[in-house]
This record gives sequence, C-alpha cells and structure tokens, in this order.
Amino acid sequence: MRRRQGGASASTKRVRMTFTTGEANILGATLPAPTARRQFSFAWLGVMPFLLFALLFLILPTMKIVVGSFQSNEGGFTLANIANLFQPSILAAYWISIKISVASALLGCFVGFLIAWAMVLGGLPGWLRSPILTFSGVASNFAGIPLAFAFLATFGRLGLVTLILRDWFDINIYGLGFNLLSFGGLTLTYLFFQIPLTVLIITPALDGMRREWREAASMLGATGFQYWRIVALPILWPSLLGTFALLFANSFGAVATAYALTGSSLSIVPILLFAQIRGDVLQDPHLGYALAFGMIVITGIANFIYIWLRARSERWVK
Amino acid sequence: MRANRIWSWLFVALGILYFAFPLVGTLEFSLKMRRGAYSLDAYAVVLGDPRFQQTFGYSVLMALATIVVGVLLVVPTAYWVRLKLPRWRPFMEFITLLPLVIPPIVIVFGYIRLYNTSSWLPLTGSAMGTNILLMFGYVVLALPYMYRAVDTGLRAIDIATLTEAAQSLGAGWVTILARVILPNVAVAVLSGAFLTFAIVIGEFVMAALLSRPAFGPYMQLLGANRAYEPAALAVIAFAITWACMALIQVVSRFAPKPPEQQH
Amino acid sequence: MLRSTGKILSLSAVVLMATSAISHAEPSEELIAAAKAEGMFSPIALPHDWCGWEGILAGFKAKYPEITLNELNPDAGSADEIEAIKANKDNKGPQAPDMVDVGLSFGPAATKEGLFLPYKVETFDGIDVKDPDGHWYGGYYGVLSFEVNTDIVKNVPQDWEDLLKPEYANSVALAGDPRAANQAILSVYAAGLAASGGDAAKAPQAGLDFFKKLNDAGNFVPVIGKAASLAQGTTPIVIRWDYNALADRDTLAGNPPVEVVVPKSGVLAGVYAQAISAYAPHPNAAKLWMEYIYSDEGQLGFLKGYCHPARFNQLVAEGKVPQEILDKLPPAELYKQAIFPSLEEQDANKNAVTGGWDSVVGANVE
Repeated sequence: MRRRQGGASASTKRVRMTFTTGEANILGATLPAPTARRQFSFAWLGVMPFLLFALLFLILPTMKIVVGSFQSNEGGFTLANIANLFQPSILAAYWISIKISVASALLGCFVGFLIAWAMVLGGLPGWLRSPILTFSGVASNFAGIPLAFAFLATFGRLGLVTLILRDWFDINIYGLGFNLLSFGGLTLTYLFFQIPLTVLIITPALDGMRREWREAASMLGATGFQYWRIVALPILWPSLLGTFALLFANSFGAVATAYALTGSSLSIVPILLFAQIRGDVLQDPHLGYALAFGMIVITGIANFIYIWLRARSERWVK
Repeated sequence: MRANRIWSWLFVALGILYFAFPLVGTLEFSLKMRRGAYSLDAYAVVLGDPRFQQTFGYSVLMALATIVVGVLLVVPTAYWVRLKLPRWRPFMEFITLLPLVIPPIVIVFGYIRLYNTSSWLPLTGSAMGTNILLMFGYVVLALPYMYRAVDTGLRAIDIATLTEAAQSLGAGWVTILARVILPNVAVAVLSGAFLTFAIVIGEFVMAALLSRPAFGPYMQLLGANRAYEPAALAVIAFAITWACMALIQVVSRFAPKPPEQQH
Repeated sequence: MLRSTGKILSLSAVVLMATSAISHAEPSEELIAAAKAEGMFSPIALPHDWCGWEGILAGFKAKYPEITLNELNPDAGSADEIEAIKANKDNKGPQAPDMVDVGLSFGPAATKEGLFLPYKVETFDGIDVKDPDGHWYGGYYGVLSFEVNTDIVKNVPQDWEDLLKPEYANSVALAGDPRAANQAILSVYAAGLAASGGDAAKAPQAGLDFFKKLNDAGNFVPVIGKAASLAQGTTPIVIRWDYNALADRDTLAGNPPVEVVVPKSGVLAGVYAQAISAYAPHPNAAKLWMEYIYSDEGQLGFLKGYCHPARFNQLVAEGKVPQEILDKLPPAELYKQAIFPSLEEQDANKNAVTGGWDSVVGANVE
C-alpha cells in the first residue's frame, strides 16, 4: 500500500546547497535594499496555497480528532474518553491489532531481508535485480481489496493451494485447523505487501555494505557467522529496526484488506473505528475520537522511530 | 560462496512461489465461472455491469482531478521552497510525511466531523461538495509520493540558473513555472502521477465513509455478494497497478540525471 | 336545508367512492413535483439481490428519471441503518439515508426515539402489519431456510437438529451479525423455537444455547455468510431468508449448485418494515418512493424476488398476480405452518440475543 523511495534518494548524492543559496544571494543583492524586505514576505506568500491546503485538509481534521478525544459531551476537558479505551473489548481490539502488526512486521522483515540479501550479496546474476525491485514496487501497492480476493482464491476452502495440497499431497490444511479468516490467515495475507516493502527499503542499505569489509573480516580469520554478528548486523540494525517500525505502522492502519477478507467480524481497531464512524456502534461518539487518537499515537510513534533510525542508518550509506 | 549461492536461489525461489501462487490462483479462480470449463464469463459479467462502468469511470475522473490539483499544488510549492525558502525544507518534509503517519481512516473521520452540514464549511452537504472533499483527501494521500518525486526531479536541474535566465528575459512567475520548470520536471511529475493513479483507483476507506460511488467500495460490495466476479476484479486491478508501475519505469528512463551523481 | 344536506351527503359519497377507486392510482401531482424538485433519493441497505430490490430500484428510476438514486451501504444490517439515521441528524448531505428497511422488531423502538417520519401511503389500508400512525409499515416477508452448497455438502441437512452433526464441521454460518442484523437475530430465535418445541418464551435462551452447542462442536463459522463465501466454500451452509437463498441459487446458476431447504420444525417468518427517516434530506422523494413500492407495480417487483409483499393477500384476491410468479414462489403449505412472532416476542428476543450473544456463545474470529 505504501511505496518508499527514501532508500533510492538516500544513495543519491545531494546537490550542494551552497551553490543555490549563493545564487539566491546574488538574486537578492541585485535588487535595491528596501525591496529586499518586501521580497522576503512575498516569498512566504508563495507557499500559502499549500499551507492552506495542508491546514484545511490535513492538520485541522487531525487536530479535531485529537482535541475531540479530550472533550466531554458538554465540551469541557476530560480524560474520561481515554480512560474508556481501557474497557475489555476495546483493549482486546488493540491487542489483536498489535499482535497482527508485530507478526506481519517481524515475518515481513525477516523474509524480505533474506530475499534482499540473496539479490544483493548472495551471488545471484545481476539481471535478477531489476525485475525483483520492479515487482516489489508493484506488490507493495497491491494491498487492499484485490489482495483479499486473491488470497481467498488461493488459500480459501476451494482455493488453488488448498486444492493442490488436498489432491496432490493428501494434506487437508483446513482439517489441520488452518483458516484464512483468522489471525494467522490475515498475517499471511499482509505479508504480500510487507515483504516487498522490506526489499525496497533494505536493498539500499545492503548496497552500502562494502565487499572490502567482508574480505577484511575473512582475512582476519572471522567465519561467516562471526562476520554477520560482529560487523554486518550492527551496521544494518538501524535499517532493520526502522523497517520493522514502518511495517508495523503500515499494518496497524490497514483497513481495506481486513474488511474485505473478514467482513466486520475481525475486531481490529481500524474496523472498530470504521463501524463507529459509520454509525456509533459504541454508543459514545467521543469514544470514537479516543479510538482514533489511540491509532494516531501508535502509528505516530512507530513512524517516527522509522524516520529517526533511517537518518541514523544513512550515515553508513554515503 | 557456492553454499551462499544455493541459499540465495532457495530464498528467491520460495519468494517467487509465495508471490506467484496468489496471482495464479486468482486468475484461475476468475476463469471458473462456467461450470466445468475455463471461460471469460466472469470478466464479461464484470465489464458489462453498469455499476462497474460508473464506479470505474468515477474513480478514473477522481484520479485525474487529484493528479491535476496535486501537480498545481506541489510543483510551485516545491520549486518555491527550493529557490527562496531553503530553511523551510525540514518543515515541508515533515508535513509531507504526515499523511503516512496518520492513518487515512482518521483523516476522513476528521473530515466528517469538521465539514458536515452544521459547520462553517459544509462540504458534505452536497454531492459536489463531498466529491471535492474526497478529492482533497486523495491529494493528501498522494502528497508524500508526489512531493518526493517532484523534489527529486527539481534536485536534478539547476533551478536557480534557469530562473535567473528566464527572469532576465522578462518572464513572470507563471511563465517560469509553466514553460521553464514544468517541462524539465515532467518525468518526475509523471512518475508521481502514475503512482497517484494507482492509489486512487484502489482506495476504499475514504470513499466508503463519505459514501461516494467509487471503485473501491464497488469491489468490496461485489466481493461480498458474488463468487467469481471478485477474482476477475482483482486481476483487473492488479493489471492496472502493474501498468502504472511499468509506465513509471519507462518514463524514468528519460529523467535528466543530476550533474554530480556517483554510482 | 335537508335537501341541500342530502345533496352534500351524496356529493361527498360520490367523492368518497371516487377517492377509494383511485386509491390504487398515482400519487398526487404536488408530491411528484416536490420530489423532483429535491432531485435525489438516498436509500440505505437495499442489496440488489435481496427481494427483487434491483428491479424495483430500476422501475423507480425509469418512472422518475429526474430523481438521482444515491444508494448507500447496501450491506448494512438493521441496527446499522438506525445508527446511520442517528449519525446523520445534523447532516443533510448525500451520506444521510432517507428511508430504512429494517426488521420488524426495530420499528417500535426507533419510533419511540422519534427517528421516523409518519406517512400513510395511498394503499395504507391494504397493509396488514403496520404502526397505526404510519411511522412504519410492513414491507415484505419470507421464512428462514438453509442455503446449502451441494458441491461441498453432499448430505443436505433437513432440520435444525441436523446442523449439530459432526459431518457439518466448520460449515454453518449466519447471514449477519447476531448483535445487529435482524436476519441473524431471528435465526437464533428460530433455532430456539425448534429446540424448545414452539415455546416462545423459552425460545431466545434456547436459541442461544443451540448456537453455543453449534460453536463448541466446531460446526459454526463466525463469519457473515454471503453468496461469495457460500460459493468459495468458507460457509457451505448459510441460514438465510428463503428469498435470498433462492435469488443466490439463480445468480450462481448451478456453479456451484445450491439447494434451499426450509427446516421441518421452527419455520419462522420475518417481516421487514419500511420507514422514512425523520431527518431525511429528501422527505418528498422518500414519500414518492413509498408510494411506488406499495403500488401494484412495486409489490409485483417484490414477488419477482421471491418475497411475499405486504399487500400479497389483497393482490391475490384482486387477481393481479400473474400465475408464473405464483408458481416460482416457495410452496404455500410451508407458509401455512410459518410462525409470525408478535412484536413483544420479537422485542424480547432481540434484547436477549443482542445482549446475550457475546457472553453465551462468545464466537469471535480470533
């Protein structure tokens, strides 16, 4: 559902800014001094449309939700809505959401890392890289409703894989307790866009792993395992952790796939919020605000971890 | 190293299996509408359904409007910030990252609470108003990618010199933007445009909660009530996404390379 | 004096007869004009495959092309529809529903909350089940049945007790959320009637216990059963209204083959009520819609969808129903033994099931 081009631009050399500001100075200096002040305020006006748009359609709606979650019915400040979040059914919803997000992020990171490693450092032919990256770009956007249909057609009761396993290998996965419409099934479905996302983000970090380090380590007598433990993983862990945080946030906020797969019977937080927005099923409008606020806090923290760690990891990718 | 290579091939092969099966499975399921034989019946039903045509047309129109408004909003802003307000860059980056931090369901919840008929800007009071609101919602969703693409494109050209040259020839700001800057970032803009298209076509949450007849809610409705048509829809949706990404790849070949790029 | 009174009386008698003669005729010109001026009509929860709504909507659109149809949330359950009215009290935009199609038990409670606009259609007298002031009126009814995918389920269950058999593991589903949808709530009641031998007072609890047994046996699939999940094998047995099951059978056209079985015991009939929202953005369009669906044309539309419309008896008595349509309906004997629960019974059931489902059955997708 989200495509990150951050990795690609991180490896591009930045155009030196001094040249541009120098030019701006030249531009400013060619005009008489009094107008220089007017030009500054004029510059501020240039981004007004964008700021107005951001204010009206991004910042104000979010603030409305945040403020609303602290308001009572009469309009006064209250922490009661946040406190109400701690009732069993809502806590259970948050817990399921967190479980699914952690599971799909962990697995996505792990499998994606293996594939990215195979592609970059695993000694595979170079022509494989472009198709894998292109496909990753497409697959990471294939979330949502079509993805749910695809997995129903594959792992559902009459799905392709289910039938193949049953007819060719005599394994009845549904008899063994597997069910697509469950925590495990949803995680499996989410992996379809989590893994490609990992590949897209980790590849630039792996690109930055110099071959000389590997060679130097083996010259000093390190085994492959030691190399990974002492040299490579410490360098890569900011990227990995950041990727994990991003995948977590991505999965936590995803509504469409879960809704299309399970209807509204799986009680994850976004679906609960969806039902609440459609028609106050929680019998308390302000609880909806609190629910949304809880979502913002969780995805916000996860995303900022990602950004902070990405900035850290970019130190190695010059 | 040879052991490494075996592992590599193994991982890639397993990956290919995991990704290929759903795609093949969907395709196979979508061909099974007629009992006992493969046929394109599901596709015929879907493509002939007037609701498909209406909702798909609506989403395509929305996508085009989103792209136009997005370009009009982002290109001048990114240009201006690069040129005149370089110290604002971190702030702008922060704003363009916000749509990725705040889940779309929360954003549309804010819209419904803020712009209903009893507010100062009653956008949800009419069909046209709600359409406009939805479009701005889509612009917000596409903002991170559009801004990043345009910014990367601007980085590759020397806007300061171009601007100075154009100004010395007597061009006003609109002319500079339209006839000097925009053609040079056309490739970046197109990349952003295709990505926006893919996002808008498949979007569900905003359209569903604002009750607009878009393609996403239609897909979900069909998915609940029909057996084989949803698989056909999924194949169509995937084909569209793939086409958009492929177009981005094709178009990126023509991107001007930044002057000091190391490989 | 007497003579003129007599003239007035006879004149009014003539007028009265004339009005009763045109009571089956067109709605008034002012209403049509007012509705067209509003230009839009927002129905909610009218799935196209349900009871012939697709044909009825198409007929309305063909008759009044100036009124745009803005169909909201076709999959909403009855509780969702009531909530949608409440959520849009201040909103006159296209997200607000103009009318609702809810289970009978939802009618009186919502009337008490003042959510409905009273209106008496021209053919009001011909409707059997209704609120005397016109807040809501019965629309159509059918009986609960088992919709079975015979590709997967070879041995079709014939009664409620059969569903508990081990061969139906992971097979049985309700067609809605038992905490919100009328269809599901009444399914529980029907199972309870069968288990308690027809005792209406014990039925709700007996129904909940039945579903607890079903869930513990592993036969119950806690997913909303629909045509898609039926065909894809996720929910091969769905407890649904017979008209929906028959419509699904037609849509799937044998791929997979569907059999519709009305259980031998506990034949429950459910009536759906129509009402206009008190906060409707387009009240006149809504009134025109009501006139349309209660006209002969509208009622025949229901029949084409395998439903028994509210004025069924009246239409049959007047000989207005074509024989082919009558033949396609489920057998009349089944309907003779169908139980129509009273409003009080339905209310008691609704409270018991919506409140008790989570604690007694506790089935949630994990």
